[in-house]
Amino acid sequence: MEAELATDLAALKEAVEMTTAINLEVFYWWCTSVMVLIHAGFLGYEMGASRMKHTLVAGVKNILAFAFVIPTFFFFGWWIYLAMYNGLVPDFAAGAAGRPWDLAMGPNLADNATGVFWAAFVLFAATTASIMSGAVIERIRVSSFIILAVILGSGLWILAASWGWHPDGWMTRKLGYHDVGCAGVIHIISGFFALGVLINLGPRVGKFAADGTPVTIRPHNLPMVLIGLMLIIVGFFGFLAGCAIYGGSGQWVNIYNQPMTLSAYAFNTLMGLSGGIIGCYFMTRDPFWMMSGALCGIISVAAGLDVYYPPIAFALGFVGGMIAPLAGRYLEKLGIDDAVGAVPVHGVCGVWGIVACGIFASGYPNMAEGAAAVNLVGQVVSAVLLVGMGLIPGYVISFIMKSMGVLRVPEAAEVRGLDHVEVKWPAYPESSVHGAQTDVDAGDTAPATS
Amino acid sequence: MGSPIESWDAAEAYFTFADSPALLGLFLIVAIGIVVGVIAATYLHENKSFNDL
Repeated sequence: MEAELATDLAALKEAVEMTTAINLEVFYWWCTSVMVLIHAGFLGYEMGASRMKHTLVAGVKNILAFAFVIPTFFFFGWWIYLAMYNGLVPDFAAGAAGRPWDLAMGPNLADNATGVFWAAFVLFAATTASIMSGAVIERIRVSSFIILAVILGSGLWILAASWGWHPDGWMTRKLGYHDVGCAGVIHIISGFFALGVLINLGPRVGKFAADGTPVTIRPHNLPMVLIGLMLIIVGFFGFLAGCAIYGGSGQWVNIYNQPMTLSAYAFNTLMGLSGGIIGCYFMTRDPFWMMSGALCGIISVAAGLDVYYPPIAFALGFVGGMIAPLAGRYLEKLGIDDAVGAVPVHGVCGVWGIVACGIFASGYPNMAEGAAAVNLVGQVVSAVLLVGMGLIPGYVISFIMKSMGVLRVPEAAEVRGLDHVEVKWPAYPESSVHGAQTDVDAGDTAPATS
Repeated sequence: MGSPIESWDAAEAYFTFADSPALLGLFLIVAIGIVVGVIAATYLHENKSFNDL
């Protein structure tokens, strides 16, 4: 009888463990699936924000960023995350499971976790490339863009994540860095990397008058932009859920192993989101910015999603929604042409989110032995470091590309329209703007807007 | 040919050629080659497109 009970107990234990493993797979599978909507959104957003004559190349560029980040993240991105948490000296033992030839890096009946975690990280990685993608539309060379996307998506951000979005990351241990929703390691890095590229890339033809006055180049399809942004927001719910660690038999924990609930994320994501929309609407009355405000709000609260009192999240989102358009105008005055506001929305709101977490969430203890608690100085130092980690490589690499003459398309191609030059097909062959042509060679017309 | 297992009993890593590091390395190099090659081809396609203007 006792032996039978022991056998049953062992079988039950095995069944629970298997169910837990499968639940984990299911959870991250669907987080990843929802995150794909981020890319559907960026695709619509970016194509809509382009002028009609550049629509398809904007889409091609966006899709290729997604496609090239996936294999390169397999080749070396996952290893960087696992191995580089100490700084610049790799831990080869820890990184072994991320080598592309490791037995964990493929179908394995003894490992239900690696593939789905890798997939979630890949979608984070592709998001960084998509953030840059919109900023540089209509004039960057696709080949150079792909290289920049791979460096950002499979290299830089994941190095930052290993440092600051990892339970043993040195930023977490030494500085008390807290950023559960990746406001810094994704949004600051991507936003400021994009800024570094934009400085060298230069503005679109016609963006500034001869006297330097900015000229508004309107999206050719604002409804597509708005729907794209809404899809990005839907995708962010998968993204943020993917930032939580499913424990199976215990409470959820965040990436730093601190206990949390998904309910906390639900409260604060929604409150931040609404604050951002309202803040941007209040500042601009502009539908483009209003919808971008949702992202501003989410990013502004992302670092402390797990701990904020929801009205604080609302206020932080509101402030983020107000400062992003101001930052956008300031960049424009500096001669920076950021076509979709990627730098203010992701970079500036990311900085605000990290600093705000230091202001409002100081004192929360870390889990690792001897690790610093969350503190304002640590958050500010981390934000400065992350700005540099994005801006400097973005600037230097794009400067090299510019010096080699491979960063930007020729002016004649830009004026003619990249769809005509590169894909040989118009986005809207029956459009009244293009005429009833079915062949782009029949000749382009003036841009739809501006 | 590609199966590393002869039975599903106690199978763990079962992906194609999991038991052959040399072939894993070969296919990894092929995949890297595709990525690098397509970027290079894109660069050449752009040059041709711009020259055709």
